[in-house]
Amino acid sequence: MNIRLAKVEDLMGMQACNLQNLPENYMMKFWMYHLMTWPQISFVAEDHTGRIVGYVLAKIDDPSEDSTNEETHGHVNSISVLRSYRRLGLAKKLMLLSQEAMASIYKASYVSLHVRKSNKAAIALYRDTLGFEVAKVEVKYYGDGEDALSMRLDLKN
Amino acid sequence: MSRALPKRNPLPSKEASLFKELLTLYETRQIKKGLKTADLILKKFPDHGETLCMKGLVLTHMNRHDEGLELVKKGVRLDLTSHICWHVFGLIQKADKNYEEALKSYTQALRFDKENLNLLRDSAQLQTQLRLYEALVETRHNILRLRPNQRQNWVALAVAHHLNGNPKEAKMVLEHYQRSLKNVPNYDTEHSETLLYYVNILEEVGELSEALSVLDTNSKSRSIVDRTAVLEIRARLLTKLKAPEADEAWLALIQHNADSYESYRGYFQHLGIPLEQGNKEALAKLEEFATQLPKATAPRRLQLTVAAVDQFESLVKPYIVRNLVKGVPSLFADLKSLYADKEKQQIIETLVESLREEYASASTSSALTSSSGESEPTTYLWTLYYLAQHYSYLSQPEKALALLDIAIKHTPTLPELHICKAWTLKRSGDLLGAARCQNDARLLDGQDRFLNTKFGKYLLRAGMVEEAISIFGLFTKKDAASPGADLEDMQSLLYLLGEADAHKQNKKLNLALKKYMAVKKVFDDFEDDQFDFHGYNLRKFTINVYLKLLKWEDQLRSHPGYVKAAIEASKIFVAVADDPSIVTSLTSSNQMTDAEKKAKKKAKKAAVKAQEEKKTTQPAAADKDMDPPPPKDDDPDGIKLLSCADPLEQAAKLLHPLVTLAAANVDAWIAIYDVAIRRKKLLQAVGALNKAVALNPDHPELHIRLVDLKQRASALPQQPPAPIGAVFIDALSKLVPDEISLETLNSQYLQKHSDNPEAVLAAAKVQAMLKVPLGAVEGTVFALSSGETGQGEKLATNIRTASSALDFLISIQSSRSDEFRTQCQANYPLSTIFKTPTELAPLRDQVMLGSSSSEGGSEEVTP
Repeated sequence: MNIRLAKVEDLMGMQACNLQNLPENYMMKFWMYHLMTWPQISFVAEDHTGRIVGYVLAKIDDPSEDSTNEETHGHVNSISVLRSYRRLGLAKKLMLLSQEAMASIYKASYVSLHVRKSNKAAIALYRDTLGFEVAKVEVKYYGDGEDALSMRLDLKN
Repeated sequence: MSRALPKRNPLPSKEASLFKELLTLYETRQIKKGLKTADLILKKFPDHGETLCMKGLVLTHMNRHDEGLELVKKGVRLDLTSHICWHVFGLIQKADKNYEEALKSYTQALRFDKENLNLLRDSAQLQTQLRLYEALVETRHNILRLRPNQRQNWVALAVAHHLNGNPKEAKMVLEHYQRSLKNVPNYDTEHSETLLYYVNILEEVGELSEALSVLDTNSKSRSIVDRTAVLEIRARLLTKLKAPEADEAWLALIQHNADSYESYRGYFQHLGIPLEQGNKEALAKLEEFATQLPKATAPRRLQLTVAAVDQFESLVKPYIVRNLVKGVPSLFADLKSLYADKEKQQIIETLVESLREEYASASTSSALTSSSGESEPTTYLWTLYYLAQHYSYLSQPEKALALLDIAIKHTPTLPELHICKAWTLKRSGDLLGAARCQNDARLLDGQDRFLNTKFGKYLLRAGMVEEAISIFGLFTKKDAASPGADLEDMQSLLYLLGEADAHKQNKKLNLALKKYMAVKKVFDDFEDDQFDFHGYNLRKFTINVYLKLLKWEDQLRSHPGYVKAAIEASKIFVAVADDPSIVTSLTSSNQMTDAEKKAKKKAKKAAVKAQEEKKTTQPAAADKDMDPPPPKDDDPDGIKLLSCADPLEQAAKLLHPLVTLAAANVDAWIAIYDVAIRRKKLLQAVGALNKAVALNPDHPELHIRLVDLKQRASALPQQPPAPIGAVFIDALSKLVPDEISLETLNSQYLQKHSDNPEAVLAAAKVQAMLKVPLGAVEGTVFALSSGETGQGEKLATNIRTASSALDFLISIQSSRSDEFRTQCQANYPLSTIFKTPTELAPLRDQVMLGSSSSEGGSEEVTP
């Protein structure tokens, strides 16, 4: 599968991939907003026909003015790979590219994400393969009442 | 004494300060207080235009849009020289997405307040949205003149010039801007993006060396911080400059991301080595990459494409084995593009068949004797899975289904096997069995939305709309009015097009039209979505991606989803225009049973409740976010839409974008013709057919239209007036020669294409148009079920055409349609398309239950 930076022409494919796979969905303007604001940190995987089969959508959180102790960091808003394209290591490759871009372009000190407490496969990827750690549990984070693990990976090294 | 315009009287100081307060209240979104204040002023000065406008504006944010708009219009009339009145009018038109009119109002407002920056900025956004780039340049000039110290105003002017087709001017503005820049902080992403934009412009105007040197200098000094962008642009520029360093640049890119095909293509293009089948040099280079970058799949996969047939087997074997052992489900999807080469396809088949034998014996010989080359039982399973997809793809469903039966017995819990079975059955015309198998897959993992979506999609394909919606509903938002409403809000083309097609299949044209038009709305919204970014990206200096957004928006409706929806909706509009009685028959068949009425009432109640809950749970900020709520749908069944007074005008509007954006699509030109000829746009009609002829002169639908055109032309009461008439007659005679009769034309067409089922059906349809006796028409159609042409040759038909042929026979009230149906059922034993409703009912029930609950009944269908 071809792995590359997400382009404007990919937005519809990313939205469709998300909608087919995950319960948290977003309107086009949300996808657009991310690419228009941080055009360098979202990536896609496509098959030979150009269909988007996986993506990572990311953003940068700048320290807010009223809190002084925060640092600029990246956040993965959504990541997904179609079931039929699993076991190719796509999610890992997409994450690594995004993390690298966050660190090198925005000097992000860490990257964070939320994951459903029950999503064992995803947690294993973040923790065991990519080195994330659980920062905290966010109770009833999801619309259906499930808790989220808030995970982080240090990017400073 | 008379003056051109009455001088308006200024408000006395008390009311003047109230008016100021009103402006502040609006700006701080204190809507209710604003209304009170406006009323206070109006009590004393009921004809104060500006206050009336402000009150109207406030009302539009209180769900009283039409009332508000009327007040604003009244206010404008009372004070035609007030920039506030025009500004307010423009704001409302802008919010209504009526951009043309909004811009007119803004232009009026600017006449009376030339240097108002808010007006200028909004005008610039409107001009960009409307692609009025010349006017945009002027507006950006004005803004820059007023605020030369704001960085973004310089960049904005450059962008305007660029959009206006003048990159050299854009370049000069950026250079001027850079000279004036002082104190750019280190590591500034905004500055970095601006520099990259400058480099892109230099490249566009052909100053490649300059572009390269600006890129290099600024990336060394760390002014450009986007390393990947630098690598890419560098490689591209060096290649264009034919510089030897391009090698290194491409290699650096490949090192950075070894799975990007573009980088390999760029590298090989630079080397002048084509990545084509049989190129030994390319193959050797790829081997180097494959060794150096063991984790990358791209070089190994590229090798398979590039390898000549004699080298192919030794390369594909390890590739396939590795993926089977890993259990990669997408292996077949990955390799099937290689099947374009029949020899490679055969090599793969032989290879995987021999692997299957190898793994089969390994998996039967007990696990205790793990002697030689032991393989996991899952490897055997994935091999069966691969072969099933292989045979299904090659239209050998019996082989595929037999393999899947073995595989499912081996491991009943792997959803992929059931998905593959569903796909195979679908391709054999068994839409209900296909849906049932998708249900089997879903039942194995109810938490997986992917499996759920697939099942829903297959249900729609089988025409089971209500069941599909309830299945989709397992994953849609619980507070949405309905699962369909959530999917529509989330702009799901899969759902909207799937449901539209299902309604069409069920002959519910009103509901189908409703959903096709919902697809149109999705694209309208995508177009509107860009609006805010005309200002936003300039503030953020993300220019490069912004320009790509504009380009994408300009091509938006070339998307197959739009093209399909536009064509299908226009077919429905044309059908209603031809036969308005369709509407009445649909309205009466839409009479609901009591149970349906009850269900509908319940759904309505739930929807209202959900809306209310949404309101109360939304944060207080909702008041600040002054978007008006979406208007209520007063036509949920699409009957109004279907019975609109101007169906052909609606269709023409839908199809209009296709003229430029789907110019290579014959179906689009056919649809354009169908609408144009009925709207009496004769030149547009022949123009569309000329385009279709240029694309494919033998297209079956085109053949029908040529005859249609000729018939309509001879039915015209008189020759169309000059200058159109002569042009039309001339074009017509070029499309359909005068010297042969339509009957001859049709029999020649049939003879020439007697081996093409679609063409045979088209010829039969033309026979019906020419009032050929029914028996002869039937004779032509029956070639499609007997598989024999009149000349005793073989005619390989397909399910889709056979199904259209059946529909056609029914439409001409042929007494032999049941006979045709029976023959087709025998030709396609797996297919459910030719079954009768009574035969279908039990199969439909089985879909929702899944295969395992069947008592061995439906499985018997597969030998």
